[in-house]
Amino acid sequence: MTMNNLVSIPKIPLENWVSSAVSWLTTNLSGFFDAIQSGGQYIMDALTNGLTAVPMPLMIIGITVIAIVTTPKKIGFPLFTLLGLLLIANQGLWSDLMNTVTLVIMASIVSLIIGIPLGILTAKSQKTAVVVQPILDFMQTMPGFVYLIPAVAFFGIGVVPGVFASIIFALPPMVRMTSLGIRQVPVDLVEAADSFGSTTWQKLFKLELPSAKNTILAGANQTIMLALSMVVTASMIGAPGLGRGVLSAVQHADVGSGFVNGLGLVILAIVIDRFTQKFNTQPGQKAVTKPWRRWTVLVALLVMIGGGVVNTLTSDKTTGQKVTIGYVEWDSEVASSNVLAESLRQHGYDVTLTPLDNAVLWQSLSNNQIDISVSAWLPDTHKALYDKYKNDVTLLGPNLKGVKTGLVVPDYMDVNSISDLTTQANKTITGIEPGAGEMATAAKALKSYSNLSGWNLSSSSSGAMVSALDKAYKNKQDVVVTGWSPHWMFSKYHLKFLSDPKNVFGSGETINTIVNKKFKTSNPKAYKVADKFNWTKDDMESVMLDIQNGQTPKQAAAKWIKSHQKLVDSWYK
Amino acid sequence: MPKVEIKHLTKIFGKRPKAAMKMVKQNKSKNEIVEKTGSTVGVYDINMSIEEGEIFVIMGLSGSGKSTLIRLLNRLIEPTAGQLFIDGQEITKLNKKQMIEIRRKKMSMVFQNFALFPHRTLLENTEYGLEIQGVGKEERRKRAEQALENAKLLSFKDQYPHQLSGGMQQRVGLARALTNDPDILLMDEAFSALDPLVRGEMQDELLDLQANVEKTIIFITHDLNEALRIGDHIAIMKDGRLQQIGTGEEILTNPANDYVKTFVGDVDRSKVLTADSIMIPALTSNIYVDGPTVALRKMTAEEVSGLVAVNRHRQFEGYLSSEEAVRARREKVPLADVLTEMPKIKPDTLIMDIMPIIYDAQTPVAVVDDDNRLKGVVIRGAVLKALADTEGEDDNE
Repeated sequence: MTMNNLVSIPKIPLENWVSSAVSWLTTNLSGFFDAIQSGGQYIMDALTNGLTAVPMPLMIIGITVIAIVTTPKKIGFPLFTLLGLLLIANQGLWSDLMNTVTLVIMASIVSLIIGIPLGILTAKSQKTAVVVQPILDFMQTMPGFVYLIPAVAFFGIGVVPGVFASIIFALPPMVRMTSLGIRQVPVDLVEAADSFGSTTWQKLFKLELPSAKNTILAGANQTIMLALSMVVTASMIGAPGLGRGVLSAVQHADVGSGFVNGLGLVILAIVIDRFTQKFNTQPGQKAVTKPWRRWTVLVALLVMIGGGVVNTLTSDKTTGQKVTIGYVEWDSEVASSNVLAESLRQHGYDVTLTPLDNAVLWQSLSNNQIDISVSAWLPDTHKALYDKYKNDVTLLGPNLKGVKTGLVVPDYMDVNSISDLTTQANKTITGIEPGAGEMATAAKALKSYSNLSGWNLSSSSSGAMVSALDKAYKNKQDVVVTGWSPHWMFSKYHLKFLSDPKNVFGSGETINTIVNKKFKTSNPKAYKVADKFNWTKDDMESVMLDIQNGQTPKQAAAKWIKSHQKLVDSWYK
Repeated sequence: MPKVEIKHLTKIFGKRPKAAMKMVKQNKSKNEIVEKTGSTVGVYDINMSIEEGEIFVIMGLSGSGKSTLIRLLNRLIEPTAGQLFIDGQEITKLNKKQMIEIRRKKMSMVFQNFALFPHRTLLENTEYGLEIQGVGKEERRKRAEQALENAKLLSFKDQYPHQLSGGMQQRVGLARALTNDPDILLMDEAFSALDPLVRGEMQDELLDLQANVEKTIIFITHDLNEALRIGDHIAIMKDGRLQQIGTGEEILTNPANDYVKTFVGDVDRSKVLTADSIMIPALTSNIYVDGPTVALRKMTAEEVSGLVAVNRHRQFEGYLSSEEAVRARREKVPLADVLTEMPKIKPDTLIMDIMPIIYDAQTPVAVVDDDNRLKGVVIRGAVLKALADTEGEDDNE
């Protein structure tokens, strides 16, 4: 007996309304969105390239010098800045850091540009405030993840939708604090300004904004921090930077890497926070008191920029053709995508690897933002996505055969078939990312097998699933997971697939290569390589194990290519 | 032609001014109107004319509408009805732009809490009025510095307001208002936030200024003494209505109604006056503790030439004059040996009976209780005033 039977109102098709509104926007304003996407991408790339062009030691020294001259007589902050940045560089996260900084700078600047005027308007006009306040409440309480969906629909993947989502999330405090600051200007000061015959603009620029400056800066500080917190979320839709490392660590349940990437974000946040607080001054004090300090800051900035320019002029740019490979953070796909990417790089291509959620990956292929994906599990696992996008992508066929998906248990459990399951493992199947194809199949299995009624399918991430398996395995407890092979877990633990009499999980699958519709004409050579790319389950598992044993995906891929040069060369013939 | 002329000026706050107006005409009270209509009467049907070069004081308790009235004059508050003329020009008809021009050229305002911009130095505050008029930097600096010079604050020109005392801040507020060289100065309880000493100084300065520059000053205060001290004409307000306009003398001698009578603190004649109703706190010194130097210092601080000597229990000992204190210091004798005579009376002594005593005395008269404890002193002026009032009373009857 559900609520629906009690309430006679049929379910309001809210989802459909929102979806059709967004799709109407995407189709009718596509030119506008594309312009923003390409313009934004251009600016962001320029900014990132500018930042990464500055030689790392030079930038660390420069920022430390600025910290020293803006923090007279105190050693703590400059020392923290120096050590923090050195640590980030030492961990090999420098280019990620620069990407993150770009994203934060962009999101913050746009939030300031939109937020301050909007804040002034809400302070000045009660009518505007009545409209804007609830919208701000809505924006601030809506989970940040939700903004990713329209962001992808409007701008596809990459850094621009990341900035878009961050702006929506980070804008409210800017507007609120600006509005508050202006409303808080003492009434007699406003009267004084009026009594001398100030125009509205004079009052704004000579009294209200200077008075509200510190409140506005506090808002800006909050906005920057919120933008920073969105960096991790935005990495789900391909925004590069430290967030990607955190997200990947979550998906692989990799504590160490998650901590290191997170620490990088913390260091960045503290440095930005302290620097923005330096602008917070009382009347009668100046941010940087002595002229020589101001000159030093300027010189430090100029030296950094100069270093960047010199570096750009002297370094040889990769002139190879650009190829974008999208993948999902499953261990199997990390292995295959890195192998293909590494081999393409060795042949002079400029390859970008973008980790994405599975559904977003297919969507990005369909609108040509991604060139290649080697992770389509067909015919069953990704059936729903394939049916949805099959007209918008090109299927090049299998790159790996003999894949199996299904429910996996440790071999000490005495069940051998899905129909044998009764009350084991608390009636829970431990799954992976909710967007994954296998989850849809597992959900279908719950419906098809009558003995599974009352069972739960809990979603987490591929990494968390393995962690749960590991924990149960060590304690000899029951556990049922959604598994697939090739996977390194089969070489690490003694596991078995449960037989599937109703054949819900299909009878063996292949992993396929898909490319976008334009790829054949835009990059025929790389298209051919993608078409020929194939290897075996054993190949893949050896790369996976190397990664599991601590090699970076790039190292493991290079190692495998070296020992299978013949096979790799055959892709390029 | 008067400088400022106000005709039937009315301000109703809130949403239903029409309904409130009706009730005002029926002489309903403020509270009744708020309950019925949700509107507050700020000021109602004010008529007055202010002459060029006079200091016109508007008085009233808080809530009487005096602050609203002054803001109606430069239209920081828009009037609900009525007209306002300055130099014969109808100000209430002007649009926003013309009004800005009037504020820049004709009138400046000084505020109770100084209203200096905290993020600007004194000089930047003082030149603000010229700055927004687009006067060149050289010119406005020069004029602002001159104004600060007149206020004896030029050396502080690069300080920020929070670094100054209240009196200094208000001098800056005044300098800022004068830099524009306006015809009319509006002063909204300008000295109320200052301590009594500084307040007196500022009042003197304002009178000096008025003698030099001949501005029309509209001054708001709730302090009768201040009004009497500086006002050429005084208007008394209650609940948004005007009670009486006149010179200080007229208001004291011919109060128009009972409210004004109680407001100007007219003594209640039904009571027979005794010493304790007119005595003031005495300046005392415990001569068994204080030395001559301390005593002299107390006199200097209070600007008197003598004090009442008491012992540890505040019992009356005698009168210590400044000359005697100086002699005691010079000759190194204890203060108790140099005290002089001082008449004593009981608190319930009638004023009539004090008269002859005080007439002969060189000093004020000490008021002591039955245990010889000092209660206060009676000074000559107070007695004379009390007598004059009672005589006036007799005349009226």
